Amino acid sequence: MRRWLARYSIDMPLLWLGIALSSLLIFVADTLTNFEIAFAVLYVAVILLSARAGRPRAVIAVGISCGLLTVLSYALTRYGNPDSGLTNGALSLLAIVTTTYFAYRSETAEASTRETQADLARMARITSIGELATSIAHEVSQPLTAIVANANAAMRWLAADPPRQDEAKQALNRVVADAARAGEVIGRVRQLVARVPPSKVEVDMIDVIEETLALTRGEMVRHGIVLRTDLADHLPAIVGDRVQLQQVVLNFVVNAMEATQKSEEKEVLVSAAADERKITVSVRDTGIGVPSDVADQVFEAFYTTKSTGIGMGLAISRSIIEAHGGTIYVAPNYPHGAAFGFTLPIASRAEDRSRVE
Amino acid sequence: MLNETVYIVDDDPSVREGLDSLLRSAGYETHCFASPREFQLHRRADTPSCLVLDVRMPGASGLDFQVELAHADDAIPIIFLTGHGDVPMSVRAMRAGAIEFLLKPFREQDLLDAIRLAIERDRTRRESATVDSELNQRLNTLTAREREVMALVSTGLLNKQIAGELGLSEVTVKVHRGQVMRKMQAATLADLIRMSDRLGLSVK
Repeated sequence: MRRWLARYSIDMPLLWLGIALSSLLIFVADTLTNFEIAFAVLYVAVILLSARAGRPRAVIAVGISCGLLTVLSYALTRYGNPDSGLTNGALSLLAIVTTTYFAYRSETAEASTRETQADLARMARITSIGELATSIAHEVSQPLTAIVANANAAMRWLAADPPRQDEAKQALNRVVADAARAGEVIGRVRQLVARVPPSKVEVDMIDVIEETLALTRGEMVRHGIVLRTDLADHLPAIVGDRVQLQQVVLNFVVNAMEATQKSEEKEVLVSAAADERKITVSVRDTGIGVPSDVADQVFEAFYTTKSTGIGMGLAISRSIIEAHGGTIYVAPNYPHGAAFGFTLPIASRAEDRSRVE
Repeated sequence: MLNETVYIVDDDPSVREGLDSLLRSAGYETHCFASPREFQLHRRADTPSCLVLDVRMPGASGLDFQVELAHADDAIPIIFLTGHGDVPMSVRAMRAGAIEFLLKPFREQDLLDAIRLAIERDRTRRESATVDSELNQRLNTLTAREREVMALVSTGLLNKQIAGELGLSEVTVKVHRGQVMRKMQAATLADLIRMSDRLGLSVK
């Protein structure tokens, strides 16, 4: 325990110095004064201070230390009535234990929030960085440039008088080679997007949706968007990659939020329901909507209406849903806005096994 | 006709080969280089030519190389190719005198138009450079006195005024003037004035 106290103290030296000093002061005061004076209650402040380090285990360690110090003081104190000392000590211990417990719990919750935020940031980086797009564009534009040049050259060589078939043939051979090279680039991008094979575990989509909404709720409030949900009490589990599915839901919700930016009435409705064979998740918004003539294109790569988008979000979503054996769709919302949704097949035992294999 | 030459500098062999074939099929003579250094080591023929230069290359970037050429007084017209052009980059290249800034993959016609323009510009530049050097040669055959006379004639002074200015007789000025017209191969006074302008001749 002391070892990680030592390690933590390197991170935040002032905080830990403060904690050590105040514990010492309280301990001295508690030991030197009468039993009747319950100095030990002040340890609560020390525990709350330790919560600022952002490490749940450190909170527990400090809590235990404070408890031990309280007991030690009780044993060492010479003045006053030992009975009141016992009562006071017990009360102090109770305060210490409860404070430690609550501080620990809130710290754990915060730690997991931080982790989720880090995950989200990573996801955002993957799905929206312009750098990735630029680098892919460069990698693809090189062979494409060569293809355009060679193909035009081949036509000119053939149209020449007399036709230069040898030159045309060489140019066309290069077209084939460069096309293969462009294909390799695309293949690498695909691997990048799906670098890890999707895991196949049982997923409760209600959990996934609620987690996603918890992450975006703050943003919605800030933009004055009313969030409504219509989630079934219970959904049968589906088999798939939890993180990927969450990415799809998040994508839908973020799109819905952005679509309603200029609407007077800003509302997002997230619903989830099941029938015997599949579950359906949809996100409706009262935003600008999707014109029916482009409805087919929205899931294609690089289709975007956002000035800063690269048009990958829905394309990736589609590939995720299709990899899970589901379908993705967009429909108009009544009276305005759009409804994006997907269906996923419900896991049956037999299917589970065949998928895993 | 002179062989019009296009120099291609791109670090990507596929792009290089494609451009090479395309430009040869369009009737140009081509020379390919993988880097600006290689291009610099090459002894260029004295023909109208231009440079097709990739912006992003390992080592010196195309834009830096443009600056380097300008410092070396090398006026070969440049057409830039880039895989990811941004506006500031193209503005910088064009300000520094580039003929065109083409985004890969470009349209064949855009490249060929740019090359034609570049070659034409190079041809004009070469011709005027030739004329300049020839005029300079002729000028060098003049005596100091003849040069003075030429400068004064070009400002529009009459023989009598020139004679006064230089302290010579009008006849002597006339003789000098005849020599100047002959040596400079000027048919008319207007021709001679144009030549003075071109040579930047002025009265001290």
